[in-house]
Amino acid sequence: MEFLDEIKAKFPNVLESVDGSNENESVLLLKDKTKIKRVCKEVKNHFDILFMLMAVDKPPKIFELNYVFSSYKTQNILTIRVNIERDKAVIDSISSLFESADWEERETYDLFGVEFIGHKNLKRILLPEDWPGRPLRKDFEVTDEVRNWTGLDLKF
Amino acid sequence: MISTFFYNLLAGYLPPILAEIGSVVGVFIVGTIIVLNIPLLLGWVDRKLSGRIQSRYGPVYTGPFGLLQNVADVIKLLGKRFITNQSIDKLIYDFIPIALSVLAALMIFVIPLGSPGLILVSIPYNLLFIYIFLALSPLLVLLAGWGQNNKYAMLSGFRGAAQITAYELTLLMALISIGILAGSYDISSIVNSQHTIWNAAYLPITLVLFVIASLAITERAPFDVPEASQELQAGWKIEYSGIRYGLFFIAEYVRLLVVSMLIVYLFFGGWNGVYLPDYAWFWIKTTVVTLFMMSLRWVYNRPRIDQLIDIGFKWLLPLSVINLIAVGFIAVY
Amino acid sequence: MRSGTGLGLISNFRFMEKERNRITINIGPVHPSTHGVLKFKVDISGDTMKKIEPEIGFVHRGVEKMAEMKYYSNFMPIADKLDYIAALNWEVLYASVVEKALKVVIPPRAVYLRTMMCELQRIMSHLLFIGHSGEDLGNTTLFMWGFRERELLMDIIEEVSGGRLAPMYISLGGMYYDLPPGLIPKLASTLDIIEKRVKNEYRALSYENGLFKMRTVGVGIIEANLAIKYGLTGPNARASGIKCDLRKNAPYLAYDKLDFDIITADAGDAYARFVVRVNEILESIKIVRQIIKDLPSGEIKVKVPWIFTIPPSYTFVRQETPRGEAAMYMVTDGGQKPYRLKIRAPSLYAVQAMSEIFVGGKVADIVAILGSLDPTPGEVDR
Repeated sequence: MEFLDEIKAKFPNVLESVDGSNENESVLLLKDKTKIKRVCKEVKNHFDILFMLMAVDKPPKIFELNYVFSSYKTQNILTIRVNIERDKAVIDSISSLFESADWEERETYDLFGVEFIGHKNLKRILLPEDWPGRPLRKDFEVTDEVRNWTGLDLKF
Repeated sequence: MISTFFYNLLAGYLPPILAEIGSVVGVFIVGTIIVLNIPLLLGWVDRKLSGRIQSRYGPVYTGPFGLLQNVADVIKLLGKRFITNQSIDKLIYDFIPIALSVLAALMIFVIPLGSPGLILVSIPYNLLFIYIFLALSPLLVLLAGWGQNNKYAMLSGFRGAAQITAYELTLLMALISIGILAGSYDISSIVNSQHTIWNAAYLPITLVLFVIASLAITERAPFDVPEASQELQAGWKIEYSGIRYGLFFIAEYVRLLVVSMLIVYLFFGGWNGVYLPDYAWFWIKTTVVTLFMMSLRWVYNRPRIDQLIDIGFKWLLPLSVINLIAVGFIAVY
Repeated sequence: MRSGTGLGLISNFRFMEKERNRITINIGPVHPSTHGVLKFKVDISGDTMKKIEPEIGFVHRGVEKMAEMKYYSNFMPIADKLDYIAALNWEVLYASVVEKALKVVIPPRAVYLRTMMCELQRIMSHLLFIGHSGEDLGNTTLFMWGFRERELLMDIIEEVSGGRLAPMYISLGGMYYDLPPGLIPKLASTLDIIEKRVKNEYRALSYENGLFKMRTVGVGIIEANLAIKYGLTGPNARASGIKCDLRKNAPYLAYDKLDFDIITADAGDAYARFVVRVNEILESIKIVRQIIKDLPSGEIKVKVPWIFTIPPSYTFVRQETPRGEAAMYMVTDGGQKPYRLKIRAPSLYAVQAMSEIFVGGKVADIVAILGSLDPTPGEVDR
């Protein structure tokens, strides 16, 4: 597909195709997480929206972020896959490029604890502000702190 | 006249001063019974009618045809605990439900109940009295909004005041044009002036203006913008519970009935009719008008407050002024 | 809001125009018109909305975490409850994603039955939307009528599956049961009734009613670029003139063999969204009639064991639910449970966009716009 080659040509050494892509769904692995914003800027020329943002916890080292982009005109789906360190989970926010990334990033922050630099309103979205822990991490355990959580300590 | 009837009844046994007091008490008791029964009956009709329109049954279990459902509701409301907010203005808060229902009840005392003699208290210019009672109650709504110290109630109070400012002049103009034509503000004289031809045929525009303005001024749906249970939950009724809340229903239904009666008196010839006795004619007409007013609630949605005020000031008020001038010309020539 | 006497509020009124003295009201979480449990923090000045902040998460059940803890087959009842108004669509979506990962091909009759169920569910969802729109604008009759027609289809679903709101009809590899005898004629007559009522009775009460138009035309306008910016899909985007419909653009199930149109409107206001959904009901009725006509016979399922493993893979499936493009992205690791299941709920993006759509509207428009966007907190919060 042309758009795939075009995007890859802009970033020759950091983007590579992943096996298992089929005709409409292509996956690109981004090796350098600091480039995410520039890659997304390029993706924006070909795709309309950030369709979803999936984080996968791969202990002990890796958080894998899957940015799925889609377009209203074509059937194409593009996934940009980025691996970030688990103990220093920080990445640039793309919410200034894709407005729909705003809540997706907040959700990933909420459930995984990935921090997005440059996000204008990074706070928990689904869970209460004082909820202990990041529940979608694989090492999340139901501790006494979680069990005894009442939500009454929250100041409004 | 019912007060005279009581006086004559008692004058045979008691000295005049006691008979006078007795007649006042009698009128009071009769009027209260009428007022308390109106919401029970109209509420039932409203429920059944809405049920018919919405393809459901309405109340069926309590009594024959669910007639006792509203009695059960009153008992329930009486048994309910008062839940009041700490920060309310106690005086205003307690005053509003009583004032609203009393204001509504007073209208029943001065309006003829179907024939010239069937009136609880006979006063001249009773049409203006009724207008004052109708136009006062929305100010109480504004006060209720303040008294509850609640944002929703306050918004609702503002809406109520704005709505009434927009529509009460229209209502007044409509009443004045009727008054000009009949030469009186006494309901009996207005009815008698329609002996040959109904005002509805003379003044169709006034009729439309009157119906719209009276719906707005009684805050009856579709013009229940201050109450707006979808946006403001229950608006100015939000902090009320128990029988205080129940008192609002008295005001609501009594005002609905009074407005329907006024439409019949002012536009459809009141008790004028052939073959049947006068009160029968009157109540048949009133039933039809009341059902019409009720069914409006179930087929229209509510306009927004700014649209409502737009309609009131930009269309209805100029139209009613023009209409008034036109009626004046008709009356003079 | 300061406490004390009620009359002290006059001072609030005087300062209302100043920014720091705007009134903040909370719409929700418990409110008659939030369609569940959504919350909006609205700053108002007079009756005009200046700033609005949606808050979600009140019915967060941790569905994605639950998926990681259950066998593939056992997640189906939870997928059901994601969007309780369009349960079958989500069942089909989840079944599709697992079948795609398993590389199972379901028999043609099951494909057609699934398509039929998706469309019936779409009609039901849109009927509920119509009812809610009426209720939000203060017309309870429309609400009752919407439920009345939905009930007819509920009976059909109940006859087919035994359930009403959460039918559990789709199994991995096909359907649990075939259609009971005598259902097709009943369904056909039900569709006739619904078509007639939507075209006649609803017209008088809603889309050609003057007061209804007054409340909805020009209210909550979403320009096409705003819809794209926030990733709106489904009827909300189609009402803004965007021709996006996965049933047509990326056909799945049996949609490529059926004849139907993408319904669009240009205005992008609450009225356009209402009309788009009304027309989609008629379009869905058309689709179901075609399915009834050429429903193939044969098997309704292929055997899929209750507990099985899927080799490590990434599977992505997106489909068109009544609320827009829903998707599931499943990561497997060779175990008996999904390693990660990410759910894309179309309503989430509609709720996110509200902070921009609402600004400048009146307080009464909150419910009109919210109703016209038709979010379901169940899938927003997951």
